Amino acid sequence: MHRESVSINAVISVVRDYLVLVMIAALVAITAVIEPKFMSGANLVNIMRQFGPLIMVSLGMTFVIIGGFIDLSVAGTINLVAVVTISLIQPLGQVPALLIGLTIGAVCGGLNSALILSSGALTQAEALFITFGMSTVYSAIALLYSGGSTMHFWDISASKSVFEAIGGGNVGFLSVSFVIFLVCLALLWVFQTKTSEGRAICLTGGNKTAARLAGVQVSRAIVVIYMICGLMAGVGAIVLFSRITTAAPVIGAGYETNAILSVVVGGTTLKGGKGSVLRTVMGVLLVILMSNCLDLLGVSSYLQYAVKGAILVFAIWLDNRKQA
Amino acid sequence: MNRSGIGESLYKLATKQKAFIAILVMMGGMLFSGTNFYTVYNLLDMLNSTSILLILSFGVTLTIVSGGCDLSIGGILVVSGITAIKLLDFMPIWLAILCAVLFGAVVGFINGFLVVKQKTEPFIITLGMGLLLTGIAQQLTDAHPIPAKNPDFMMIGNGDIFGVPNLVLIMLVCFGISFWLMRYTQFGRNLYAIGGDYDVARYSGIDVIRTKWIGFVISGAAAGLAGVLLSSKLNTGSSVYGELTALVVNCGVVVGGTSFAGGIGGIPQSALGLLVFGMLDNVMNMLNISSYYQVMLKGTVIVGIIWLDCFANKRRREFV
Repeated sequence: MHRESVSINAVISVVRDYLVLVMIAALVAITAVIEPKFMSGANLVNIMRQFGPLIMVSLGMTFVIIGGFIDLSVAGTINLVAVVTISLIQPLGQVPALLIGLTIGAVCGGLNSALILSSGALTQAEALFITFGMSTVYSAIALLYSGGSTMHFWDISASKSVFEAIGGGNVGFLSVSFVIFLVCLALLWVFQTKTSEGRAICLTGGNKTAARLAGVQVSRAIVVIYMICGLMAGVGAIVLFSRITTAAPVIGAGYETNAILSVVVGGTTLKGGKGSVLRTVMGVLLVILMSNCLDLLGVSSYLQYAVKGAILVFAIWLDNRKQA
Repeated sequence: MNRSGIGESLYKLATKQKAFIAILVMMGGMLFSGTNFYTVYNLLDMLNSTSILLILSFGVTLTIVSGGCDLSIGGILVVSGITAIKLLDFMPIWLAILCAVLFGAVVGFINGFLVVKQKTEPFIITLGMGLLLTGIAQQLTDAHPIPAKNPDFMMIGNGDIFGVPNLVLIMLVCFGISFWLMRYTQFGRNLYAIGGDYDVARYSGIDVIRTKWIGFVISGAAAGLAGVLLSSKLNTGSSVYGELTALVVNCGVVVGGTSFAGGIGGIPQSALGLLVFGMLDNVMNMLNISSYYQVMLKGTVIVGIIWLDCFANKRRREFV
């Protein structure tokens, strides 16, 4: 009797831990039965292409959440990086534009961390409001810079081959954006698991006071997580506007909530200290598969928005149950 | 031993009553601007357009004082406004309004269950709830504004009594009720105690879960009422007022001096805090500042104020 109950508990805890994988499997199975088009080659390529911007932003967000904070400013950062980069292709050439765009992303992140450190904010709630305010500021700068207008690729006469490759090129059977994703994932995974700074971030998220007393440089860890998040938001912005070949100053709206949703659904706890970029990949996969399935089943995009909110609330509740 | 020099007292004033100072600075600045700021019409108009935010803030203050916060009010605002307009087609006005307010209370009840009973982080779970409700609002309206057909409904938000707009009167009634609730009832004092120290309040025999839960229900109901008033004022139901409203109201409450740390603040302070935002809007429009700069200025003000709040919390932690 006793052994049986123990094994049941073990099964329950494994299912809880990998609930996302179970949900992905169930979702794929159900949709494949109802709508055979789901497994067609064209749709799978479509899913691979959607992997682009959201996964980049979510990977960066993972570090902020592991570090025990949160970043709502990624939407503003994406807006700013997209409009500045696309406008610089003509005067400066494409590689300098790309580098300046990524630098702006990292600087935005650095600015967030500077505000958080100087005010001595310790909790997620304080970080949430500060980064939300900064998101508004970055978006306003993007609006002022672009004059509120949308910029198109076809207005640019200079060479833009790099961006066209990012947007629509292929390496073998993989899209270029998917290759960028694999490279980023590998780098960030190594950074998180094999370097001392990666462990410092985990310790900071677990307990800031204990980490400081143990000799971890908490301030540096906070700067690093926000700069990674800003940089990855910049990468996401470039992948995004390359794919849709236009950049509007409102292009990034909604990415902050979707990224948080993906990270939390993947199983990285909002309490900080635990989580992994690999889990985030699973979370993003679930979010993208879900949109794809709901699209195929003919659910309106507005209702999908509500479904995402419901899943976010459910995932946070579940995350909290796991901790208790 | 008198250590409270001028610098110290100025610092105290700046951190405790930064909203009041901001209002004084704006009023002083407008003296020299040569605009129509100091007219009864403009001041009443400003109060009128701020009163919906004020009603929202009175509810939110209850949750922030008890150590939580409520970011779902933006979602409740739009959904209850749309619900009221949709229900008007087949029921009397008072019943439609009651249903919309009840809807807000139900959402507040669910928030309370998740935050208080299940002990989830209030800001992130209510953010998710706001997202959910915004999606529902878009589904209900198909993302188009829907007009209200009943002229009586429109008069609630646009009529006036002896020159004083209805919205201002409703806001004053809400102010009175919530002020009385927070200041002169056991419920209000318990909220402060819970925000000050949750465990101490629990060991003192306060029913912490029920009290905090009721705070969330009231916040939801206030947001429901504000949603009805907003759609009555605009005579349409629309799904576009969501997220920014919630964050602006929560920031406004903090501006007034109610801290996220919980246990301090009050209804009059929140009113002052939201008036800062209302006056800022009015002043920027008077001075013909372009809308992009307005967004930027608002964002900067939010960051600056939250920064000051965090900084004051840090000092409090270090000195205690």
